[in-house]
Amino acid sequence: MLKYFFSIPLLFSMFLVHAQETAKPKETVQEKQKAEIQKPMAQEAVTDTILPKTNRYGLRVGVDLYKLTRGFYDKDYKGVEFVGDFRLTKKYYLAAELGFEDKTTDDDRLNSTATGTYIKGGFDYNTYQNWLDMENLITIGLRGGFSTFSQQLNTYKIYNANPYWGQQAPLVSGEKYNGLTAAWLEVAVGMKAKVFNNVFVGFGVQLKLLVSNKEPGNFENLYIPGFNRTYDGNFGVGFNYTVSYFIPLYKKKVIVPELKNVSPKK
Amino acid sequence: MKKIISFLLIFAFGLSSCEKDDICDPDTPTTPRLVITFYDINNSTVRKRVTNLMVIGKDQKEAIVFNKTATDDTRFLTSGDSIAIPLRTDADTTTYKFTINSGNPNASLINSDEITFVHSRQNSYVSRACGFKTIFNLSAFQRADPAGDSVWMQDIFIINPNIEYENETHVKVFF
Repeated sequence: MLKYFFSIPLLFSMFLVHAQETAKPKETVQEKQKAEIQKPMAQEAVTDTILPKTNRYGLRVGVDLYKLTRGFYDKDYKGVEFVGDFRLTKKYYLAAELGFEDKTTDDDRLNSTATGTYIKGGFDYNTYQNWLDMENLITIGLRGGFSTFSQQLNTYKIYNANPYWGQQAPLVSGEKYNGLTAAWLEVAVGMKAKVFNNVFVGFGVQLKLLVSNKEPGNFENLYIPGFNRTYDGNFGVGFNYTVSYFIPLYKKKVIVPELKNVSPKK
Repeated sequence: MKKIISFLLIFAFGLSSCEKDDICDPDTPTTPRLVITFYDINNSTVRKRVTNLMVIGKDQKEAIVFNKTATDDTRFLTSGDSIAIPLRTDADTTTYKFTINSGNPNASLINSDEITFVHSRQNSYVSRACGFKTIFNLSAFQRADPAGDSVWMQDIFIINPNIEYENETHVKVFF
């Protein structure tokens, strides 16, 4: 299972590389065409004028399709994550995720269910240099995450290295540990591409570092909603595949140094 | 950006290759066995070796294997001064028959005693890979002599009733 979990982001990361290469020429072709159309008009009006470039600012809200669809094929999983970001400056975005997960983890010797909600907040920095009025993002960001959840131990096995009296059948526990919390930091790397109008498709991977973890007595948090599976160390990984809608709120003009000599015309 | 992606790829590959924290390390202390040490009845501080001791659980077909390398019946025999025997994780008593000089042609030397250990059990969490272990609290023992050949284990003391690790003696037997 874990193998697939890592393989999927790996697979997608391949697409990332290719997606950029093919997407760029396409966009530039469109932009060129646009520019060609605009050029004669501009020449008629005033000579040597570039239209003022504006950046759109606003709120982007969306949902994680990976979590949403996983419930259809994985009977041990139910979850949803809403994502949102708000453009603060040209490069910086406030970003947050809010989610719910119900995951049954079936290990060889333990079967447990973690249920809870989580919130993550932080910022994204867009490293992608957009052409003209493109609005794509390749972001690197930081988040703080917090989850409050419960964990139920369903069944467990006794490890007995000397099963002289026979291996014991799995024991049914059903004990529920409530009021568990965990907090973590994560580095999020992702991309979002505008597919049409204000609709964006994106995906991201996160590396997480657990900073606080309230463990149940005589058990362990094997899965933390939002943080995902826990390992012997404090780190974790995550993945999301989002579709989001951009709500434009206002525009800001881009100040381009070359425009100094040109009289602003509007 | 390229650097970050390649770093992530390496990281993800690294994780895929060392994902196995789901195998229980044999060195992890899991369900402990009961450690019995034998002492000389005439000199209570001196350990004494048993001769061809065979230990078989009640209603079990096979005795406990002490010598894993042997292939014949000698694998059930031990001549050390200490043994570790598993307790039942599904019941509160464990009964064993201890036969000394087992297989000796001189039948008068063969002597077997039956001991029932009374213990409470507690299941304690170990790890994701190992699951739980059972630790015991030994409260009492009952000695019987179904063979009618008198008892060879003359004195039995519970030294350490909390059975959690195997690196200590829980029961001392004097003979």
